[in-house]
Formats: sequence, structure tokens, C-alpha cells
Amino acid sequence: MAVYKRSYKAYSGPLTPTWSRFTVLTRYGLARLFDSRMFTAYTVFCFLPFLVGLGSIYFVHSTAAQMLLGLKFGRELAINNQFFLGVLWSESWLGFVLVAWAAPGMISKDFANHSIQLYLSRPLSRAEYLVGKVSVLAALLSCTTWIPALILFGVQAEMQGNGWGWDNLWIAGAIVVAGLLWIALMSLLSMGLAVWVKWRIAATALFFGVLFFMAGFGFAVNQVLRTRWGWLLNVPQMIFIVWRSLFRMPLSLAELHHDAVPLWSAWASLLAICAFSLWLLNRRLRAREVERA
Amino acid sequence: MEAVIQLESLQVKLGPRIILDRLTGALSGRCIGLLGPNGSGKSTLINTLLGFYRPLSGKAKIFGKDVQENLRDLRAQIGYMPESDAFIADMSGVRFVRYMAELSGLPKSEAMERAHEAFFYVGLGEARYRKLGTYSLGMKQLAKLAQALAHGPRLLLLDEPTNGLDPEARQRMLQLVRDIRDTSEVCVLISSHLLHDIEECCDEVIILKEGKIAALCNLEEERKANLKFLELEVSSENGFLESVRSLGCECASFGAGRLKIVLPDNIEVRQLYKLAVEHSIQIRRMNYRRDSLEDIFLKAMMNGAVPANASEKAMSHGRL
Repeated sequence: MAVYKRSYKAYSGPLTPTWSRFTVLTRYGLARLFDSRMFTAYTVFCFLPFLVGLGSIYFVHSTAAQMLLGLKFGRELAINNQFFLGVLWSESWLGFVLVAWAAPGMISKDFANHSIQLYLSRPLSRAEYLVGKVSVLAALLSCTTWIPALILFGVQAEMQGNGWGWDNLWIAGAIVVAGLLWIALMSLLSMGLAVWVKWRIAATALFFGVLFFMAGFGFAVNQVLRTRWGWLLNVPQMIFIVWRSLFRMPLSLAELHHDAVPLWSAWASLLAICAFSLWLLNRRLRAREVERA
Repeated sequence: MEAVIQLESLQVKLGPRIILDRLTGALSGRCIGLLGPNGSGKSTLINTLLGFYRPLSGKAKIFGKDVQENLRDLRAQIGYMPESDAFIADMSGVRFVRYMAELSGLPKSEAMERAHEAFFYVGLGEARYRKLGTYSLGMKQLAKLAQALAHGPRLLLLDEPTNGLDPEARQRMLQLVRDIRDTSEVCVLISSHLLHDIEECCDEVIILKEGKIAALCNLEEERKANLKFLELEVSSENGFLESVRSLGCECASFGAGRLKIVLPDNIEVRQLYKLAVEHSIQIRRMNYRRDSLEDIFLKAMMNGAVPANASEKAMSHGRL
């Protein structure tokens, strides 16, 4: 096909590898998100916990800086598992807004005007479509959560020396596992909900609703039925319980009796949410619906 | 000639209902029309060819390859223009087409180049940087065609391409389809319930009725076969009928000078005029009559579905 000829010609040039097609979705997804200045600015803001953490590590290790500012950090600011859990937790809350901003638009726009059938009429499976879209969130969230936390761990290991890094390598493992678990959960849940709502704002509202109204509902269940199992509906709480165990900060007995559910049930709750989100996606992520059933 | 689309006792069930019921046939035209009333299974057949629906039994083949077994490979060779809206509203036209071409496997630079070319080809060159959400219905249809063409498919599946278009835009769309058919190696399958659209573009037609093949015919052959079918009105039949028969023509009189004649290949119309002069009669009216697609369609709708063996016969003869 040539513009000057205005006649159709078939394409006979090279093709990209089949396995790499999902990266097209990721690339375009990221490009579309960063078309918005607001989104770009907010993404930069998400690095605030990292910068604060970096500053903290520096000040803890730099007596000159402490003297300059007239501050003395001792046991009040120890760089340990609790510090990294705190950094990751703050990064994740900021990342949560990022997910709520990015995920519904990515999926619901494809459903709003039925362009999903065009994706799936190409050499691209439903799984690849999903992987492509999840990769956008995974890349974004990784860059703003566990990767900066891991960099902080590296900086701390370097500045502390004396084999601190090796002795506390499990913290690095905890950062990676906790980050990936959170990313998987948020990505699947936000997308699983977004495929059912064509309107982006409604999809965002539904995402917030499921997370916070469910938590409220769980609290009500606890109060009315005088039980603690209502916490299972509180997703942030379940994540926190799992993270505390990963960072070797288990719940105290008192907490277990009054406010929290056992670790196994928190894991089960999170995995059930992931499985439910995948089921939602599987039901809806199709080029054609069987409407005449 | 290799069949473009081959259906082997294809049965598709959606929910409790059988939508396509043991379709058997081979389509080898450059431009194939898929006709049928609403709910006859046209879109289901296209969706099955795209692999969106899995057959309950039987097979659908494209270029001799089973659709289910070679889905990825075949999808790379297909350009699909769906019936309903299909676009991303806040994306510019050219970016959208480039995106789709990249998903089909074209490298970035080639996809960009072909997206621009496709837009110029369908006549939207000037509007290619506008967001798709701002396009008119006709422009959206053309943009859908552009995305179906950009990656250079071997088979184009067009589902109701002229839906909602004004007469001018409709003519433009049909002209594009004819152009693609005539100037490239691309095969086209058009689904439509507008007989005129199919008649203008297609050389082969499959007519569906209630999920079954009601007719499968080669329009070119139909046209050729009907070319020498004449209707005459003469002032008097005095000996004229016998003379015409003596030429070797099949002839029937319907009274009041109205005749129907089938001319063999070796007889020219001029010879009829000579006979009329010899018998001193006037030919008051003469016209070629041929079965239009409408006749074929109505006949198919009245007769209902062809039995399985009949459609196999249709495969071998190219017409019913």
C-alpha cells in the first residue's frame, strides 16, 4: 500500500516474535498513562517514602549530618525490619491510589466501545491480553514500591557494613514477596472489577467500594455477631497481617484474641480474592458474550 | 482452486441453542457474500471463523487449515471489521491503527507507516490525527476498515460494513471493497443483509437460514448461465415459434405473443431478427432476463435449507 498509489498491497516484511506481542499492550498502556501530567506528577510523588527512607538511612549513619542539624538518632530510628515494613506500607498506600487511577481506565476503555474484539481477533490470547495489562500495573507499582525498598536495603547494607546485608537478607526476601503479593492482589482485583463496568469513574468507585465498604461491612459483622472473622473482609488488614509475618513481626497473643484473625486465614482470604478476581476476568474477558443462552 | 473457507459439518451451540447446524460447503471466491435474515447465524459463523466460538462438532477451515488448531497463525492472516463500534475513543485514528498493526506482529516503524497508508487508502488521511471518539459513523466504519487492512491480511472478514452509512458513504465503502478485491490478492468475506451490497461486490454467495445453508452459489456462473435467457413480445407467433425451435432454441409461448427463449451458445440474437423479418412480424419487446440475487435469495428462503448432500453437490459444482 503506498500513499501516492492509493492501492492496497499486502505486507510481506518481518514480524515481531509471537511471545513479545503482550509487551505492545504494556508499552501503549504506559504511554497512555504518562500522557497525563497529573498522573506523571503523582507517580513522582509516590517516591516520597523512598526519599524520606533514604534520608533517614543517611542521617542514621552520618554523625556529621546529625551534628549539623543538632539531632541525634539512636534507638528511635533503627534501620530494621520495622523500618522497611513502614517504608513499604507507605509506598503501597500511595501505590494504591496509582492503581485506582490507572487500572479501571486501562480495561474499561477497551470494553466501553467493544474494542476488545479487535484485540482478540489478532494473534493474542486472552491470557496474553491480561498479562499485557497487568504488566503495566506491575511495572508501575514495582518501580514505586518494592524496588525502591530494595534499593534502600542495599544502601543500608552498604552503609552499615559488617555483614549486615547477609545477616538480614531475609528482609530483602520479605520486601520482594510482600511487594509482589500486593501487586498481584491489587492488579487482579482492580481489573476483575473494571471488566464489569464500562464507565471508568464507576469502575474506580467500585474498586474503592469493594476495599473500604467490605472493611466496614466486616467490622459490622464483628460487632453484630461478636466474632473476629469479619476481619477477613478487610483486605488492607489481611495484607498487613501477612506482611507482618513476612517481616517477622507476628501478631501478639492479645491482638490475636481481640483484633485479628490467624495468619493462615489471612493468606486464605487474599488468595481467595485473587482467585475470585481471576474468575471475574475469565467470565467477562471474551470477544463475544453468549447472550442468547 | 484452493478453498478460502471450508466448512465440514460445522455445528455451533451457544447456550442451549444450536446456532449453526451442520454447515458443509467450500467457498473459493475472491469476494464471498454471506447473506441471511437476522438471526440466521451470519455473525456466529464469522465469530467461529475467528475462533471466538468453539464448534460443538465439525470443522471450519481457512486456507485449508483448521481454525481451532491453527488459531494464532490464521488470526495473523485475517483482518476483521466487526459490525458494532470497535475503537478506543480517546486515541487518535492513526495511533489506534498502528497499535492494532503492532498487535498483529508488525514492527513499530512498519506499523506506523502502514497505519498512515491505510488511513489514506480508506480516504481518512486528513482526519488521521483526530480522536476516534470525534469521528462520524461513516468515518468510524472506515477507521475499522483501516485497522483490518493495516497488517496486510490474506482474508478480510467484513461484518455488515455498510451498516448505518448514508448512500454516498455506502458507495464509497463498496468501491473500496471492490478495489481491494480487484487490485490485490486479498480474499474478502462480507456479511450483510443488504442484497444489493453483496450483488455489487461478490462473486460467490452463501445464504444462511435458521443456521443452515439455504443456498451456496457462484454469482458469476449464475450470471453467465442466465445471460441468454430471453423474454420476447411479438406481434404474431405465426410460424415464428417453429422457426425459432428449428434453430435449436428452447422456446415457450405464454399467449398474446409473449415468448420465453433460451438461446444456445452458437445462436446470436441477430438471427431472431432475421426470422422475424422472414415471417413479417414485429418484435415489440425483447429483454434479457436473469435471476437476480434477490430471486436466488427469495428462492432459498422459500425452499428452506438444502440437505447435507445437496450442499456437498454445491461444493463440487459451484452452484445449486
